[in-house]
Amino acid sequence: MWTLAWKNVWRGRGRSLVTAGAVAAVVALMLVMYGLSGAVQNGMFENLTRTTGHLLLRVKNAEEVREFDLSLIREVAALKRRIAGTLPTADVEAVLEVPALLAGETRSRGAVLLGLETSGRLTKELVEKYLIAGEPPVAESEWSAALGAALARALKVELGGTVYAFAPGTEGLGAAAFEVAGLLDLPESTVEARTAVLALEAAQELAAPDAASRIVVFLPGLKTLEQVQLLEDARRALASVVPPGYEVLTWREAEPALAAILDMMRPMMLIYALLFFVLAGLLVVNTVYLSLVERIREFGVIIALGADRWRVMQLVILESLWLVSSGALVGGIVGGLAVWRMARGFSLPGALAEQYAEFGLPVVMYASITPGQVAQVFAFAALTAVASALWPAWLAGKLEPVEAMRHVA
Amino acid sequence: MKAIVEARNLHKVYRADGVETPALRGVDFSARAGEFTAIAGPSGSGKSTLLHLLGGLDRPSEGEVWLGGERLDDKSAVERARLRLWKVGFVFQAYNLIPVLTALENAAFVLELRGLPASERVPRARAALVELEMQDYADRRPNQLSGGQQQRVAVARALAAEPAVVFADEPTANLDSKTGLALIEYMKRLNREKGLTFVFSTHDPRLLDHVRRVVHLEDGRIVAEEGMG
Repeated sequence: MWTLAWKNVWRGRGRSLVTAGAVAAVVALMLVMYGLSGAVQNGMFENLTRTTGHLLLRVKNAEEVREFDLSLIREVAALKRRIAGTLPTADVEAVLEVPALLAGETRSRGAVLLGLETSGRLTKELVEKYLIAGEPPVAESEWSAALGAALARALKVELGGTVYAFAPGTEGLGAAAFEVAGLLDLPESTVEARTAVLALEAAQELAAPDAASRIVVFLPGLKTLEQVQLLEDARRALASVVPPGYEVLTWREAEPALAAILDMMRPMMLIYALLFFVLAGLLVVNTVYLSLVERIREFGVIIALGADRWRVMQLVILESLWLVSSGALVGGIVGGLAVWRMARGFSLPGALAEQYAEFGLPVVMYASITPGQVAQVFAFAALTAVASALWPAWLAGKLEPVEAMRHVA
Repeated sequence: MKAIVEARNLHKVYRADGVETPALRGVDFSARAGEFTAIAGPSGSGKSTLLHLLGGLDRPSEGEVWLGGERLDDKSAVERARLRLWKVGFVFQAYNLIPVLTALENAAFVLELRGLPASERVPRARAALVELEMQDYADRRPNQLSGGQQQRVAVARALAAEPAVVFADEPTANLDSKTGLALIEYMKRLNREKGLTFVFSTHDPRLLDHVRRVVHLEDGRIVAEEGMG
């Protein structure tokens, strides 16, 4: 039956090639689209976690704590050492956010002083992405700060000028002067108008010695969204060394809105896949049906010779499976090669790369597809083959042998 | 000897667009195992209809059909298909080989439907082709064969399955007289040497001289019967 089905498929070679070609195109397209969506997801994930880290340690329910001193993690240096002992390959950085009044010579503004480790990933990211003039902040003999460009304008200070920070009621100095070493062009204007970045040591000395608002953990092995187990294992390990009163969040829990956007891409791809395969399925139905109509007499003979309804239906479905699977095989090879090539890195053409970079896409992306997605594409193809053949198969199964053998095409 | 196929008071009426056309009007017929029977009659006499009913391809409007001791007319389509597969061989006027299959694959087709593995069905199909002297054409497709050769492959297809009875509906109608006679000789030899039961229809009076038992049909009724099987 397999041989007969295969020979029947190639009897109408032109029509079969067109249909198999359409299936191949859909399979290849879906593999490429899955690869692209993987690239976009992973690119956005990478961009996002560059600033949020993969895991976040903070005071329990920190968003509900209003008092500055109650929102702080204490004995940060010792805690960082314990974390490093538990997750030896991880990069661990402390961040201190201090609400303060920032004043220039003539004006002042309420601001958030963001204390970052000067040699850490977060500072590097800040410099690479947002520093538009000057140098990153330092905490050497003199303290310096990088101000949001909008904040600098509001305070009427320029590079090399001085700003004064007041954080009264805190455990540190409470006031300090900073040289404006750099200007930042941050993505959100409201954030830019109230952010000044300091060295962590400076921020701690000003407001909270050996304390931090959060400790951010980067897991070097975590490259894609799919590595859920790695993330959860690290979270469990971290939670075991964290003192009571603190909580460990994953990047998803820390940024639920962005995580939801990333998660939305998967069902959207599923809908695209369904639509494409429905369209391919219509073509398959047409081919299988025409093939049936042209061979009614032959089906009559097969039934007369003793094939029952189910056997005839099986033959029609086998023909559809051959048709679709040969197309899917070619599409799988073409799509697989395309994804393999794109997995080595690609950029969107022309100005698109820069435009999309503003939405968090990296300039160079890497296509990524999971075995589950590949299986899904081929499962859709198989489903298309069977579903498309059901109606023609049903018609063939209902043929009466005597009438069918009298049929004139 | 017990009848291998039997029809009792067989009626068949075709209905189309409100018009009823009787094709058979109370036919009683039987054939015993090993018989070589011709059903003769002019066009429209009901020969094909009778063969279709005897072979379980269609259901009678009235009457009974028995095949190998099993009643056929009250069975479902699936059950009749099973009986045809295991007990009946067919040879059709228009050869009706499957065009994409070779002669050997066509000869083995019924065996494949029965689910026999290639190791069993191919030798049987090849042996059937040898009986019909078609072994040299085993790898040819039907469009590479003459009408007579195609019909011999069709007989080989029936023979390979070793059915209880072979129904041949005007097997020589599309052949010239010499080829037609040769085909009948092949069938007679298989009947004689293999004991294969044949019931075939013809409207060609020249063939009847070569047949021992002839049933004459006219207007859906048996009007005469000559000879014994």
